[in-house]
Amino acid sequence: MTIQGVSIDFTVLGPIIALGTAGLLVLLADLAGKKTPRGLLYGIGVAGCAVAFALLWQLFGRTATTMNGVFAVDRFSWGFSAILVGALAVTLLLSTLRNADDGGSPGSYAALLIFSTIGGLILAGATNLIGLFLGIEQLSLGLYVLAGSGFPREASQEASLKYLLLGSLASGFLIYGSALLYGASGSISIAALAEAAAHLTPLFVIGFALLLVGLAFKLALAPFHLWTPDVYEGSPIAMTGFMTVAVKAAAFAVLARFVYTAFGHDSIALVPLWGLAILSMLVGSFGALGQRNLKRLLAYSSIAQAGFMAAALAGVGQYGLSALLFYVAAYAFMNLGAFAVIALLGDGDEAYADLDAYRALFYRRPWAAVALTLFLFSLAGIPGTAGFFGKVLLLEQSFSAGSWGIALGVSLVIGSIVSIYAYFKVIWQMFAPQEGESPVVAGNSALSWIPIVVGAAGVLLLGVVPQTFVSFVSAAP
Amino acid sequence: MISKMVFLPAVAALALMLVPRSQSVVLKTIALAAALLTLMLSLPLLGVLPGGMEQESVSWIAGPLEAAYHVRVDGLSLFFVLLTTLVSVPAVWAAFTYADATRLRGYLALLLLFEWTLLGLFTAGNLLLFYIYWDLMLIPVFLALVGYSGTAQARRAGMLYLIYNLFGGLVLLAGVIGIVVNAGTFEVLGHSYTLDPAAARWLFAAFALAFLIKTPAFPFHAWMPPTYTYLPPSMVALVSGVQSKAGLYGLLVFAIPLFRYQADPVSPAIQAAQYFAPAMLVIAVVSIVYGALTAIAQTNAKTLVGYSSLSHLGFVLLALFAFGFSSISASILMIVSHGVIVAALFLLLGFVEERTGTNDLGAFGGLAAGAPRLAALMLIVAMAALGLPGLSGFAGEFLILIGAWQTQPVYTAIALIAVVLAAVYALRLLQGAMHGPLRAPDDSKAGRSALDPIVLDGNTPPFDIKPRELALLAPLVAIIFFLGIWPAWLNDRVPIQTDIDAQAAVHDRA
Repeated sequence: MTIQGVSIDFTVLGPIIALGTAGLLVLLADLAGKKTPRGLLYGIGVAGCAVAFALLWQLFGRTATTMNGVFAVDRFSWGFSAILVGALAVTLLLSTLRNADDGGSPGSYAALLIFSTIGGLILAGATNLIGLFLGIEQLSLGLYVLAGSGFPREASQEASLKYLLLGSLASGFLIYGSALLYGASGSISIAALAEAAAHLTPLFVIGFALLLVGLAFKLALAPFHLWTPDVYEGSPIAMTGFMTVAVKAAAFAVLARFVYTAFGHDSIALVPLWGLAILSMLVGSFGALGQRNLKRLLAYSSIAQAGFMAAALAGVGQYGLSALLFYVAAYAFMNLGAFAVIALLGDGDEAYADLDAYRALFYRRPWAAVALTLFLFSLAGIPGTAGFFGKVLLLEQSFSAGSWGIALGVSLVIGSIVSIYAYFKVIWQMFAPQEGESPVVAGNSALSWIPIVVGAAGVLLLGVVPQTFVSFVSAAP
Repeated sequence: MISKMVFLPAVAALALMLVPRSQSVVLKTIALAAALLTLMLSLPLLGVLPGGMEQESVSWIAGPLEAAYHVRVDGLSLFFVLLTTLVSVPAVWAAFTYADATRLRGYLALLLLFEWTLLGLFTAGNLLLFYIYWDLMLIPVFLALVGYSGTAQARRAGMLYLIYNLFGGLVLLAGVIGIVVNAGTFEVLGHSYTLDPAAARWLFAAFALAFLIKTPAFPFHAWMPPTYTYLPPSMVALVSGVQSKAGLYGLLVFAIPLFRYQADPVSPAIQAAQYFAPAMLVIAVVSIVYGALTAIAQTNAKTLVGYSSLSHLGFVLLALFAFGFSSISASILMIVSHGVIVAALFLLLGFVEERTGTNDLGAFGGLAAGAPRLAALMLIVAMAALGLPGLSGFAGEFLILIGAWQTQPVYTAIALIAVVLAAVYALRLLQGAMHGPLRAPDDSKAGRSALDPIVLDGNTPPFDIKPRELALLAPLVAIIFFLGIWPAWLNDRVPIQTDIDAQAAVHDRA
């Protein structure tokens, strides 16, 4: 037996290295002065994102593995990594708002955020079970702390604790499942699982079920979603936006890799996943109906949207990955955009979490109202927005995938119908004329207009000329 | 050419946003000019008659969902396009007196955006565009109800309207994707493909449900009375005059051909439209009778007209699913005539509301005393609605009844009841609003003080119809007469069933 040295391809790891450097620089800068300006700390982070994105751009279309096959850049990881980096940049920008909660220590806040994102990148590129676990823990550990960074608010502390306790439990499931999968296949590589998956040995089935539970928790798929509304409501606004998008992007990347590598068309082993998806669509959309807090509403919406996204994998079809990536990208634009508007109006704090604050917003702040309307249209799937073509792609994937696919498609339609009311309730408030008490004063920071404008541009671009993006993502090998 | 016409109102709506709110003359000029220009652009399309087609196609999306930007106008959709451009002009013109002058800009923009989505729908050449406009069409009406109709009831009506119609929309989306998965493309018109019989029935049901909600037909009409009652009159003229035809257009151009004309003459897909025909006929007849009966019981003039519209559009459903020889041309005649009549009626009721402050038949009346010319116009339009021979309403209804009688005598016989009932509600409307002593809840608007007898002298504000109002209604009334006297003009130009059968057969061989 020979022991090989680990060969490392630094170009493949480029984005991670860039973000890691930025994270360390943020920590150093924080140490350097007594009170380092927040702008500088977040600025370093955003610069790191720009470099990471540029390095990622170089990797477009490449397929390569490194670290002895632990980490890969390929069609599963590339798009999701880009979304992660984008989500990080947006979150850092939103954190610069005057009242944004960063627990009074912006240095550690920004660094944790960056290190979390690195976890997401590791997860998206993980090709074996160890990498998967490393990534998911790296992603989650930072988030446990960040959920509580709205320190003085009790809700934020509660969110942090809840997320930590339930998240650790889910990690337990995940690692136990990984161990059983290793037992079933004799290898920690995801690619090697295909053979065990073909025979569906009991060990494999149990291992996969436990792994699925762990991932479903991270994705907030029902019935593992119970933490979601409280954690999303309690966390600072910018963090909530980050959690909804970044965690989904990373976890769906690895789920897609798992499904496409280990399972063929119509594998019976995927039935539990479809069950989770259908349940999520229904629970999320019905749950959103009664909410008067916008963060909570979007939390339930994110449960439903996670269910929608899972439908992309229904038939394990040729375009399934494109459909998933399209929808996750659309979701990133529309959801981060919506959170950016909420953060902008409240100047970073919770003033605009409450639905009543949106009354007659269109007549006070027309542009903010129009932007939020656009994002909500997209979430509801109105034509002309990214969400519409996303839904068309998902429905197409579902309906061409046999009887489970039809069940998924029908649930998708039902979920969409139900959630109309939740989204349009907000639009309704914004366009209804003012009655009663004087409105809450709204903030207006130039920096947070950047994510709003980018989000709106993305939503419209994917909604009017989806072709550019569809061919773009299907071009990735 | 077609695209220019479709997008012109949208561009004009955006242009309005660049004009300051206070420049009301400029705003009005731009809006009316845009509506007129769109009408001008739509008239040359008459050249497609008879039996021709004009289309434009640009590749748009490939890959997993293949679709072109494909617009087309043929002998059927032409009439819907013309109806839209024609009704939009008086609707925009009537909106000049929109109650809140500071909000006029937004309202005019919504009207023009609405016209854009309607034109887009009627010119859509594939299922993707059709669906896109189908949903987009809801947004201007929703915003008009929520932001531009004033009352809390109107805002609730907006939510009701939206939920009903988006529900239908998403069901339609499921149907559309179901077809696309089987056909492999959104370009389904004139293509043949095979469908599983059970799937064909489900998909047809999805299409039909969406179309019946939009029309609306009984029992899917719950959104209609509040929407028609609370929307500003100029918008409701477009909703009832044109948008209510969108569902019928969908049935006529997409649903019935998609599920009727198939490569295989005994294909199960033929049966899908046929299979549901009895159910659709029942819905049609119930709508006809229920609409007429309910119209009689209404105390609000706008709801009365709304329910009468439910009844009249039931006739079109009856014609379509009786599958008679002349059913398509009779349906088109009825659709155009109803669109013009109901738009004129709602605009007139808008004028009445501007004068009396209400549309509640219990609260005002006797307007003929102060406004004889307004009353005369109302008489003509109401007579057209009840189907007086010589006016357009009669021709459409008569041809439908004759045609449907040959294939479905029982349903037709029941539907005949509504012809009598129509006289009751139309005369009730006319009598309640126009005859008797002049009454109005807000006398200052009626141009007199409470107890004075009517003396229209120089001191009272002019009460009778104004030149602008007369001018904007005149074309609609002219069409009512024209189609009443010479229905054959339209009838001869609509492709008849056998033409479409033949066309479908050609596609099938290809």
